[in-house]
Amino acid sequence: MTDCPDGAVRDLLPELVNDRLAPDVRRRVDAHVRDCAVCQQEVELLRALRASMRSVSGMDVGRIVSAIPAYRAPRRSWGGWRAAAAIMLLAVGGTSVAVLQREGTAARDGGVWAGAPSGPGTDPIAQPSRAPTLPPIQNPARELTLGNPAIDELNDRELSTLLADLETLQAFPSPDEDRSADVVAPAPAGTD
Amino acid sequence: MTDDRDRADSRADQGTDDELIRRWKSGEQRAASLLVGRHANAVARFVTSLGVLDDVEDVVQDTFVRAFASIDGFRGDSQLRTWLFTIARRLVLDSRRSERRRGEQVEVQDGDARTDVDPLDAMVADEAERRMLGAVARLTPTQRQVFGLRVGEGMSYREIADAVGTTEGAARVHYHNAMRAIKELLDD
Repeated sequence: MTDCPDGAVRDLLPELVNDRLAPDVRRRVDAHVRDCAVCQQEVELLRALRASMRSVSGMDVGRIVSAIPAYRAPRRSWGGWRAAAAIMLLAVGGTSVAVLQREGTAARDGGVWAGAPSGPGTDPIAQPSRAPTLPPIQNPARELTLGNPAIDELNDRELSTLLADLETLQAFPSPDEDRSADVVAPAPAGTD
Repeated sequence: MTDDRDRADSRADQGTDDELIRRWKSGEQRAASLLVGRHANAVARFVTSLGVLDDVEDVVQDTFVRAFASIDGFRGDSQLRTWLFTIARRLVLDSRRSERRRGEQVEVQDGDARTDVDPLDAMVADEAERRMLGAVARLTPTQRQVFGLRVGEGMSYREIADAVGTTEGAARVHYHNAMRAIKELLDD
């Protein structure tokens, strides 16, 4: 059995026997096959092969369908959004705490209270009452960054508000405020 | 050709694949039956062309269960049938991998000894048909898959490439090599 030299048409013969050609292409291929004995032979062979291969059938549709579960629409998950918000909060909060601790350590290492008057005769240990008082917390974002553990209890609306508040939050507090981490209680006399 | 017309008529009556998927998602279980009825035999033929001789129906069932369970992942970029073939092929390959891990020699590779007797022979009484199926059975596995999809299902090379996991050009080469081999076998 030889091959038709028109490879383009020969390539389309399987789609011809499966009736999958566009009408204009089909007309062109039909016209060629009418005048080409080799292609007529190949079309006959393809039809016979197709019929043989398609004789395999008899799937039990009922059995297959009975195993298919009912459709369950995917749940709209806010988990990703919540997680992103929580991560952002932790990052900002962690940075703030780290800065506060670092400044507190630096101040203690220098032996000087950042908020206390310096100079000869001043003793921070002797003046615990001079430690600055903590400013009242009014900003919810600040409250959370200071360690409020209730982040995961917030609803979407509260998280949105929180994110908006974060825009206004100072990641690096000024040295004049929020010295809670700097406060070191004086060691009682007689202890190590 | 008659079955193609019947299939086209039936599609016009019952709706396109996309319509049936929408209907199934809205709770119409009959739409699933129509989809399975429309594609199950083609999936079975494809699974057979992959060299699966036993449990074809189980593989077909698993294919549909997997497909319906992840129907939202079907974007309609390809034909539903091509997507089903892709799932079936993955299932067969996964099954072979796990069997191989258990030490069973079930993997069929190109170049392996080919089967002289196809189990389908028993189902086919006609001698000419038996010869043709025998010729197809002697193709390499990849040739057999490509040839089955091209001739049995009339799929384009693009669709075949998606289903078989190859390129369009390679699918074309496999088809023509398969056709040449079959002609030679039938001329003997």
